[in-house]
Amino acid sequence: MLVVENLTVCYGGITALDNVSITIPDGKIVGLVGANGAGKSTTINTISGMVIPSGGNVKLDGESLLIPPQEIVKKGIVQVPEGRRIFPSITVQENLILGAYTLKGGEKVEENMQRMFELFPVLGERKNQDGGTLSGGEQQMLAIARALMSDPRILLLDEPSLGLAPKLVLEIFNMIQELNNRGLTILLVEQNAQKALNISDYAYVLETGRIVAEGEGKRIAEDPIVKKAYLGIEE
Amino acid sequence: MNLNIFFQQLINGISLGGVYALMAVGFGIIFNVLKFSNFSHGGVVAICAYLGYFLATRVAGSLWITLLATTLLGGVVGVLVEKLVFRPIRIKGRPLTYFFVNSITVAMLVQQFFSALWGYDYYPYPEFIKKTALHIGRLVVSKTYLMMLFISALVLLGLTLFLRKTKQGIAIRAASSDIWTPSLMGINTDFIISITFFIAGVLAGITGYFLGMTYTVTPFIGSFILKGIIAAIVGGMGSLTGGGIAGVLLGVVESLLIAELGAAVTPIVIYAGIIILLLVRPQGIAGKLYTIKA
Ligand SMILES: Nc1ncnc2c1ncn2[C@@H]1O[C@H](COP(=O)(O)OP(=O)(O)OP(=O)(O)O)[C@@H](O)[C@H]1O
Ligand SMILES: [Mg+2]
Repeated sequence: MLVVENLTVCYGGITALDNVSITIPDGKIVGLVGANGAGKSTTINTISGMVIPSGGNVKLDGESLLIPPQEIVKKGIVQVPEGRRIFPSITVQENLILGAYTLKGGEKVEENMQRMFELFPVLGERKNQDGGTLSGGEQQMLAIARALMSDPRILLLDEPSLGLAPKLVLEIFNMIQELNNRGLTILLVEQNAQKALNISDYAYVLETGRIVAEGEGKRIAEDPIVKKAYLGIEE
Repeated sequence: MNLNIFFQQLINGISLGGVYALMAVGFGIIFNVLKFSNFSHGGVVAICAYLGYFLATRVAGSLWITLLATTLLGGVVGVLVEKLVFRPIRIKGRPLTYFFVNSITVAMLVQQFFSALWGYDYYPYPEFIKKTALHIGRLVVSKTYLMMLFISALVLLGLTLFLRKTKQGIAIRAASSDIWTPSLMGINTDFIISITFFIAGVLAGITGYFLGMTYTVTPFIGSFILKGIIAAIVGGMGSLTGGGIAGVLLGVVESLLIAELGAAVTPIVIYAGIIILLLVRPQGIAGKLYTIKA
């Protein structure tokens, strides 16, 4: 279980997160929604060790996670960053090899790569192409596949549907559910709130650095007050 | 120019160009990852030229042993420069100007240090390889130059394999477009940067040794780095292959022009040619642009 406890993060003078607590139980999908600048990416980056909090803690099974980012990956927590951030100047295959950087032994890497090509056939077809030549949707698949290469326990997804056509958004969300069915724990950050909440077991609503609502995903999705005030969805 | 002289100059040019290529790649690999022009590379070259001289005259009498030792020490010096000079400002997230200024400062410091210490003496390397040249048909080729050419080619080939086939090498190439994201893959960026500086230092080590062997060692030997920087720019910043090819071309063109026009006019022709080339093709020979799609 991954627990974010009373997290406070400041960038210079700005408080980006104010006493945020989130619990991500094993095997669940937890949603984190909110408007631009609410602090969603900051939360994910703090869990990943990329941002140092000024207060609070992140714990995995009770053990503090305030360690360098590369150590957090070794603990099985991997992020798919906002805007994909695939490596454009190396091939698809090389992107995947880097995803498996923490694995020991080439056989395991090869095996995982084949699994990714089964999961995302388009990546197999394009394995020798530079990452930068893929379409936006293909780059998102590559970003997810790259994260899965290290056999993570917990996947942190930062706006995976950003900039994708509706059909592809649906595909990505189905994929997220499928991965969860196979046992992966997921923290799903989205602005595309309705869809994200519908597949989340539990969800939090973040507004300017504070948690303002939480509950079962479907209930949050249907709560008219939450909808109107925080998600900008009118009936 | 008769055909014999042409071929001789061609071979000399290629092997001198090989050294330029080593410099272009050593300069370029740091630029790729950290995005600043690393003038301290010239300083490391100078340190290695003196180190090579010291080892060859005082410690061991073998070319291969002293070359290897200089090379490895070059790598260590490269890492030390990064840890002492660049890492502190990197950790603080300083803008690129700081890196640039620090790198020039290191180069000047090294130059002044050697000037003050041994500035008025010449330091010729011992003659490891008999001046007797190799005769191929009617061609006369210097053995030293052939050896330099062979080693430069071998080292650049080895580096290419490292960058393509190992995960650390791939990480270096990935970091050249994005230094932030590799951490999310569990890659220790600090370590990757150290490896990069080690590689640049190794290349500086070989360069320093070869330049010392070809010319004599002076405090200003580091200024040869300008040739490497020119090759890196002409090749296309960001493309190590381009830099390597441009280095060889530069050496060849230089050697041929010197034979034809003389040493005084040659630099003028070369620099003018480079300005024109960059006007026509600002991204260099092999420059490439990628876009991240939203
Ligand atoms: N590196 C930074 N330096 C300074 N301020 C930052 C930095 N990163 C984020 N912020 C600020 O912190 C706040 C939260 O940003 P964050 O990126 O976490 O929001 P977000 O919820 O992910 O937004 P979006 O949906 O637009 O991605 C914003 O006000 C932002 O301007
Ligand atoms: Mg964000």
